[in-house]
Amino acid sequence: MSTTAKTAPRGLSRRRMRVDGWRWAGRIFLVFMLLYTAVPMIWMLITSIKSGFAAMQFPPQWWPDEPTLASYEKLLDPQNSVGQDFLRFFWNSLFVSTVTTILSVIVAVPAAYAFSRFSFPGRNFLFFAVLLRNMFPAVIFLVPLFILMRLLGLMNTHGSLILTYLTFGLPLAIWLLKGFYDNIPVQLEQAARIDGATRFQAFILIVMPLSAPGIIATAIYSFIGAWNEYIYAYTFLTKNDQLTLPVGIQRFFSENTTDFPGLMAASLMMSVPVVVLFLVLQRYFVRALTEGAVKH
Amino acid sequence: MAHVVLKDLVKTYGSFKAVNDVSLTVNDGEFVALVGPSGCGKTTTLNLVAGLIPITSGDIVIGDRVVNDLDPKDRDIAMVFQNYALYPQKSVYKNLAFPLQMRKLPRDEIDKKVKEAARVLDMTHLLERKPRELSGGQQQRVALGRALVRDPAVFLMDEPLSNLDAKLRVQMRSEIKRFHQDLKATIIYVTHDQLEAVTMADKMAVMNGGYLQQYDSPARVFAHPVNMFVASFIGSPAMSLIPLEASTANGNSVLTGAEGWSFELSPRNAQKVARATTKKVVLGARHSTIKLRKSAVPGAIPAKAYTVEPTGDVTFVQAFLSGAIVNVSVPPNIAVAPDEQIWLEFDQERMHLFDGQTEMALKAN
Repeated sequence: MSTTAKTAPRGLSRRRMRVDGWRWAGRIFLVFMLLYTAVPMIWMLITSIKSGFAAMQFPPQWWPDEPTLASYEKLLDPQNSVGQDFLRFFWNSLFVSTVTTILSVIVAVPAAYAFSRFSFPGRNFLFFAVLLRNMFPAVIFLVPLFILMRLLGLMNTHGSLILTYLTFGLPLAIWLLKGFYDNIPVQLEQAARIDGATRFQAFILIVMPLSAPGIIATAIYSFIGAWNEYIYAYTFLTKNDQLTLPVGIQRFFSENTTDFPGLMAASLMMSVPVVVLFLVLQRYFVRALTEGAVKH
Repeated sequence: MAHVVLKDLVKTYGSFKAVNDVSLTVNDGEFVALVGPSGCGKTTTLNLVAGLIPITSGDIVIGDRVVNDLDPKDRDIAMVFQNYALYPQKSVYKNLAFPLQMRKLPRDEIDKKVKEAARVLDMTHLLERKPRELSGGQQQRVALGRALVRDPAVFLMDEPLSNLDAKLRVQMRSEIKRFHQDLKATIIYVTHDQLEAVTMADKMAVMNGGYLQQYDSPARVFAHPVNMFVASFIGSPAMSLIPLEASTANGNSVLTGAEGWSFELSPRNAQKVARATTKKVVLGARHSTIKLRKSAVPGAIPAKAYTVEPTGDVTFVQAFLSGAIVNVSVPPNIAVAPDEQIWLEFDQERMHLFDGQTEMALKAN
């Protein structure tokens, strides 16, 4: 870009200025977006290292006079009752999210592959039926699913949440992955099958590695969805030792209204896995979402 | 190496018949081209032989085995695809090694064979590259290498040259031909380019609408097309096909054009026309068998030059006769102007006559 700009004839400079104007507008917009998302996070971080008293002060201390990690120590201390709760919630969330993620990959990969490669009766109908769930707000299904889970005897189990999160996460996962498989030429599998692979080997050895970015994106999507979900977890689980983090923190909030540093420390620790996951794997996520946009 | 037999091969999709009763034998070491316009069933036929799609009925024999129900991997075949189908995540070396690994060959033997194939195809320096870092011609070579590294009974090639530019295509054409001569390999080669089929194949199977039209050596297909489709499909520019009316005058067989001109047929051609099921007869003539005259001679048919296309070696002149385009080639030193009055003389010995109803070639006896 810069070299063409330097050698560009005079007549183009006007257009270039207009383009630059838009670029600056875009940058300013992005700075505002960044502030909008980052400031609450930073405030969360600052509050979490304050003492309980400092957190209540007004005007607020922009930087705590005596920064302390006491809240973190309390939350991560298995001897302490607060710490016990927090660690259990954390473990529950991790368990539910991980199982949801694994199951959704196990189901979505073959389902998407089948939708992409095989023609069978009702293929289009099924494919759009998969999306039907996503056309309604999640809350609409709260009561029906509640009744269903009670009939299945899954109330107060993590299974009820895993099943629910799968029904929410799978449609997009299947659509995302189907786009990936559509873009992998069928001749690659045919070549593999002629080269001595079974159909399954061709899928595992050739197609799966090529769709790895899609699978990773699908996994992140399922994990984050399950990790952050609140309403269903709040409705389906009542026993304290089964709560997931969003519900657990909310309960923590109502029981310890004044302990803002503790609350903020818990919130921050809940956000960390998601942010880290996203940062590490975001390039796959972007690729998955743009895949299929252009023909290679 | 092995021979391949297709017997009454049929493939239907619902009510659509993609391949209709195709029967042919590819002898051991023969290079056979399946040629036809797109949608004629040639690629489907190849995929049936490969086992990539199941057959509806009929038999496929490779070597001495009926392979109808065998998986592609058990048919001892190798295939080169139009888009090469190189594994994008694997290096050239691993692409070549893959078929050997799948057959569980020992590592050092794989290494030996891969390096040998790379040497033969002159791409030893490319072994560590990924397919996307190669040019089209190099990718084509890797695809070929992946096929030959395994020493299969039959090579199947699905339009392997059609993604290359014109110059490279000619070069690869002779390389594949050389490859066939050196290896004495049995090759079934699908192409829509009749020139590729004619120049490379020992035999060509011309297909149209799912039916095998003619299966013979390129020379015989060229000289004796069985019907109007084959006549017009093989040869470039295409054979001129002129619809005419047969009649008898003074005991002689005569063909009359829509413009009113007519010419008398030789006894042999009269015999052919007598076998037609209708009065409508189509005269087929290749550009090189028609003589162009600048003045009237007995037996020559008057026409007007429509377009003139000099190509350097020869000049092609098009004219309309009986509503059909007639292609004539003349030496470049003969100047013809568009709209100039010309006379066309057909060679009775080398002309083709077709039944206007059945479109089949008419035979003398």
